[in-house]
Amino acid sequence: MAPQKHGSGGNGFYANSGASKAANGGAHVSSGVVMTSVKRPKMEQVQTDHELFLQAFEKPTQIYRFLRTRNIIAPIFLHRSLTYMSHRNSRTNSKRKCFSVNDLLFKAEKSKVDQESHNMASNLQLTFTGFFHKTEKPLQNSENEENSVSVEVLLVKVCHKKRKDVSCPVKQVPTGKKQVPLNPDSSQIKLGAFPTLIVPSQEFEPSNGHMVKSYSLLFRVSRPGGREHNGVTTRDTSMNVMEELSNRKKRYCSNQDDGETIFVAQMTVFDKNRRLQLLDGEYEVSMQEIEESPVGKKRATWETILDGKWLPPFETFSQGPTLQFTLRWTNDTADRGTAPVAKPLATRNSESSTVDSGKPSNVKPPHAVAVSESVGADLPVRREQTHVEPRQKLRVYYQFLYNNNARQQTEARDDLHCPWCTLNCRKLYSLLKHLKLSHSRFIFNYVPHPKGARIDVSINECYDGSYVGNPQDIHCQPGFAFSRNGPVKRTPVTHFLVCRPKRSKPSLSEFLEPEDGEQEQQRTYISGHNRLYFHSDSCTPLRPQEMDVDSEDETDPAWLREKTVMQIDEFTDVNEGEKEVMKLWNLHVMKHGFIADNQMNQACLLFVEQHSTTIIEKNLCRNILLHLVSMHDFGLVNTGTIDKAMAHLKPQKDGQEQAKTQDDADGGSSSSSFHITTLKAQPINFSECRKRTAGHVTTTIQSASSFPVTTLKAQPR
Amino acid sequence: MQFIGPLCKRVKSEYMRLRQLKRFRKAEEIKALFQSNRRKIEGRTELLNEEWSKLRIQSIPLSTTSGSLPSKKLCMVESGFPSFPYQAVAMRPLTTVAGIPFMYSWSPLQQNFMVEDETFLHNIPYMGDEVLEQDEAFLEELIDNYDGVHGDRGEAGQTCLFIQFVLGQYPFCFKSQIQDNADFSLAFPSLGRELSANKKIPHDKIFTAIASMFPYKGTMEELKDKYKDLLEPSSPVKLPPLCTPNMDGPLAKSVQREQSLHSFHTLFCRRCFKYDCFLHPFHASPNVYKRKNKEIRMETEPCGLDCFLLQVQLSEYITISYVFLLKFADQNMQSSQRPRRRRRQPRPSSSCGPTPSGFCEEGKEGGSDHETTSSSEGNSQCPSPAKLRPGEEGAEESESPPQWSGAEESLFRVLHGTYYNNFCSIARLIGTKTCREVYEFAVKEVLIHHVPLEDGGISPQKKKRKHSLCSERIVLISLSICLTDNSSNQVYNYQPCDHPEHPCDSSCSCVMTQNFCEKFCQCDQECQNRFPGCRCKTQCNTKQCPCYLAVRECDPDLCMTCGAADHWDSKQVSCKNCSIQRGLKKHLLLAPSDVAGWGTFIKEPVQKNELISEYCGELISQDEADRRGRIYDKYMSSFLFNLNNDFVVDATRKGNKIRFANHSVNPNCYAKVVMVNGDHRIGIFAKRAIQRGEELFFDYRYSQADALKYVGIEREIDIV
Repeated sequence: MAPQKHGSGGNGFYANSGASKAANGGAHVSSGVVMTSVKRPKMEQVQTDHELFLQAFEKPTQIYRFLRTRNIIAPIFLHRSLTYMSHRNSRTNSKRKCFSVNDLLFKAEKSKVDQESHNMASNLQLTFTGFFHKTEKPLQNSENEENSVSVEVLLVKVCHKKRKDVSCPVKQVPTGKKQVPLNPDSSQIKLGAFPTLIVPSQEFEPSNGHMVKSYSLLFRVSRPGGREHNGVTTRDTSMNVMEELSNRKKRYCSNQDDGETIFVAQMTVFDKNRRLQLLDGEYEVSMQEIEESPVGKKRATWETILDGKWLPPFETFSQGPTLQFTLRWTNDTADRGTAPVAKPLATRNSESSTVDSGKPSNVKPPHAVAVSESVGADLPVRREQTHVEPRQKLRVYYQFLYNNNARQQTEARDDLHCPWCTLNCRKLYSLLKHLKLSHSRFIFNYVPHPKGARIDVSINECYDGSYVGNPQDIHCQPGFAFSRNGPVKRTPVTHFLVCRPKRSKPSLSEFLEPEDGEQEQQRTYISGHNRLYFHSDSCTPLRPQEMDVDSEDETDPAWLREKTVMQIDEFTDVNEGEKEVMKLWNLHVMKHGFIADNQMNQACLLFVEQHSTTIIEKNLCRNILLHLVSMHDFGLVNTGTIDKAMAHLKPQKDGQEQAKTQDDADGGSSSSSFHITTLKAQPINFSECRKRTAGHVTTTIQSASSFPVTTLKAQPR
Repeated sequence: MQFIGPLCKRVKSEYMRLRQLKRFRKAEEIKALFQSNRRKIEGRTELLNEEWSKLRIQSIPLSTTSGSLPSKKLCMVESGFPSFPYQAVAMRPLTTVAGIPFMYSWSPLQQNFMVEDETFLHNIPYMGDEVLEQDEAFLEELIDNYDGVHGDRGEAGQTCLFIQFVLGQYPFCFKSQIQDNADFSLAFPSLGRELSANKKIPHDKIFTAIASMFPYKGTMEELKDKYKDLLEPSSPVKLPPLCTPNMDGPLAKSVQREQSLHSFHTLFCRRCFKYDCFLHPFHASPNVYKRKNKEIRMETEPCGLDCFLLQVQLSEYITISYVFLLKFADQNMQSSQRPRRRRRQPRPSSSCGPTPSGFCEEGKEGGSDHETTSSSEGNSQCPSPAKLRPGEEGAEESESPPQWSGAEESLFRVLHGTYYNNFCSIARLIGTKTCREVYEFAVKEVLIHHVPLEDGGISPQKKKRKHSLCSERIVLISLSICLTDNSSNQVYNYQPCDHPEHPCDSSCSCVMTQNFCEKFCQCDQECQNRFPGCRCKTQCNTKQCPCYLAVRECDPDLCMTCGAADHWDSKQVSCKNCSIQRGLKKHLLLAPSDVAGWGTFIKEPVQKNELISEYCGELISQDEADRRGRIYDKYMSSFLFNLNNDFVVDATRKGNKIRFANHSVNPNCYAKVVMVNGDHRIGIFAKRAIQRGEELFFDYRYSQADALKYVGIEREIDIV
């Protein structure tokens, strides 16, 4: 977001209200010091005390000054969006109520048309009403001279500076010269009789030669003879002010013949952001008499212009010299009378609030051109009324307390700027609220005062500078949140959005000094995972996607598994078979965490099921049997479990052994005759076996476990 | 004595050589260990790297070197030699990372782990240089507390060297004495072996030489005696006598039942269901356990066509079974009527069917005559194949008489102790024998081995570990403590009582320690001191539940109605009083505390009185806790937690995340020592409803062991 000035009102306020100048400095610095308890004998002590006082206030003040600057450059929030600063928000949402989607289209279409019309067919038509110069005595000169002056209008194009150029190249295009009546009587004016001058639209086309930065009209009025007086020079400053304010008017000097006086004035048509500055209307331009010798650079001096000595600019218009004319953007074909809406061609730096407001009278005053429909004389009065709020002159006394003693009192008259960040709060309530919330290194207490308000400022001893925002903003680790390989889990953060919270009515009483013990704790309480967690084993930060995994969920950590294996291996009088079974069993129990005697039957079966391959590979069947019998001796399993478990092992073991014996037979080794006969006998008994199984299924249904089936399947043949 | 001179020289050089050899060997060992460790680390790193590469994480962008002022941010390496160019590399600044509190390393654990008292101080605790300088007195006191400091040179290393040394002198000695016989010109290692076998003592001269070289080691006679002493035990160590050969191995011997099961019986922990468990230092062997469920099933249904039941006369079977019944006198006499009655068996006899090899044999033998078996019956009790083969009738090879290997015999005896004369089952379990063979062997065993069986009992012996240090187990609570302190309401560790003859009266250890008898006790199930369990149908979280009232978790083997014995797989149990045993802890998180150091935080919200975690750690004796506590106090951080009068839980070295919970006088958790299936365990419970992400605190000062004491009073009243 571009740096946003706090509305246009603020600027205007600065410029116009003379009382606000004190706001620029820290208020407490600029004003007098009131020493409350000064006693002679303790002068030194008092001095050191004062030093301490200054020191105590210095640091927070510096911090807030820094923060103010930072907030201007890169604001993190807009004051106008705060509830207690709502009056700073000049934009209303009233339009939203009657908003319809079609409006968007309409708006877009309209703007398009406007642009086209402006681009294509807007000729600038100037109709001169007359040249007024009150100091002249028209009766004197009327005999010998004509009652007219010649006005030459030049279109000045300031082009983009190229690299080699020292200054911007300026092109002056003469558009015409007209005779304009001098001090015409307004009653005699006939509209059609006035000289008219047209600046063709092509002149404003950007494709015209150089890249043109800005266009302005230069009026040069040459009046034959009589340059006796220099009445205008005093108004120099005022013109300068205008230039400062609007930056749209430039003075131009060119020396002409001795015989005639030349007045010049310049008006910007398009500024460098290509914004149209001159709308349709009647204009009165104050002219400047050109000195014989232009202001040399040696003589140029800086002049203070804001010291309040200058006259209101509108005085100029009562005396002249001024040139009056009517400006129209005319369309060749349709002859549209309406002025193109001043619309930003480049919105980058636009003060949209003012431009969009749509009221031409509000737009125009900064142009420093008195519009004729509002009479020049009363305009300043109107402005005064709009900008200075209708309130009595308020005085705010800042009383700085240190060690419960008032050390300094600063008075701000009719100024509701925050002394630390120069924010114009415009209301006492807002000011207090702002001070309290934004400058919490101090304690502000409001004390009503007959002339306004007194604010007691003291150092907040229990200031808590810790972060109260969303901690995830601090802890979020770059790289953890985003991935190129796809979505990555992030820590869930809950933000509370309160719809229409109950707010107490703003009243100044909330800033009164709180009674003892009633320390309001406004610290926001944030629940939830608002911190960075760490792995307990490695102390590395826990990434959001690792949140759900409990590193301690396992009941058998690796080291414990290793430990139990080592411990059993350490026995000297336990044989290898026993050791293997014990290790396997221990790991099994640790993994599943059996706790009850009545789990043991299940545990044994599960054990055999899960480790059958290992058991057979390591040739542990008999040791397993011993283990089971031992469990039975402890009264933990029944014989049924032993039978089942061993029966589960048997088929696999047999399958393996048969494979082995087959290998032996194939190898032609001298295996025992016993094996060979079993091999021979196999096919005969196989069918028998199956038959028998089938018969048994009918009698004992329970027995139809998976064992017989697997056995049949496990047969090699 | 003229040989002494050169001998001395020789002694010296030999001594040096041995020393060097030893040093070299040690270095090699260390190198090997280091390398294996290195490999392990590399393996782990690879694993981690692989994991890391799979993670869907964008790498943290490093600040590019092409940024501002690249020329200034270079790191230069200049070498002293002019020929080498300067090397420069761009510096990459990393963003600052906030530091984390200090943490000593610890091992994760989910159950307490009992460790022995450390009578040796393993290291002098380091607490910064200043502390050590200041606290000389503390260190001295500390060392006084221990028997010694690890690293003091023991005798063990020296003795080994000594034997080697003497042996090293041996060949030389005899080489110099020319009159020697040829035996000693053998190579050095074999000589040593022979020497130890023959128990020959080397020549005196050697000892004289050694004594002259090392006068502070004693005189010649002393050395000689020492040598003899040292050699003496070295030989029996090599073959432990009690180690039964592997049952599955080729060397399996025919041994008695007790011997076969000895390891399993002695190492099995009936309370943890593990062998050589981490928590209970010694385990009662089942010899003293009475069989609670005497399920002796008689096989009435023939297991197959060739079942011994069909072969053997029924009357004969009954007489034999009767013989067995006499042998196991506790068998009731009804069994004689059993063969007639058809019992529903949980396990079908058909399951022996699918073992084809067995059936195949049976089939053959069924067709063949009885003579083979009867002849084998007549054979000697030592069934060696060599003896059996000549007795065979050579008609069919398959008709070889059943040869009983050592393993089979042992297995039979083991199974017979469990299955009695259910020969079909035994045969099925043995696998290689038919039930008829088993039956015949049984008959023979009864006839022949009846007497040896009786006296074959082997006194139960504790299993030994290699390292003598490890076998120094904690000496458990002596009853004297309890007796002296009986008046106060102390909580003592539970130890299963074992007094076979008389019931649990005032002399029973459980009664004395005011503990209930548990299912692990050897006493009768109807013992008066047993806790009956609860019959709740609710959640067991009020004092209505006797278990809850007694600060016990529901015993899944006692409380059958509350749900403590159901739903083993799910975390949803109706009984709320079995969380610790089931490990129904909450997911905890670790982060720097808001108060001090590290803190424990909870991931999900919990209700009041829910278990948050068990406070786990090393289970140490009170004495050990005193010793350790002194060091911990110096460190200003202690993880000691009093469990009961005998033990303390120390989470310093081993523990779980709850160990980081801080102390608070206004805590959100409380600790409670609960009796869980015979073990005291510390549960950390929620004192109030806790939100997610809250830090956990409990009051260190108040351990709810006091609550247990309080309950003790109530219980006493109940009993009386």
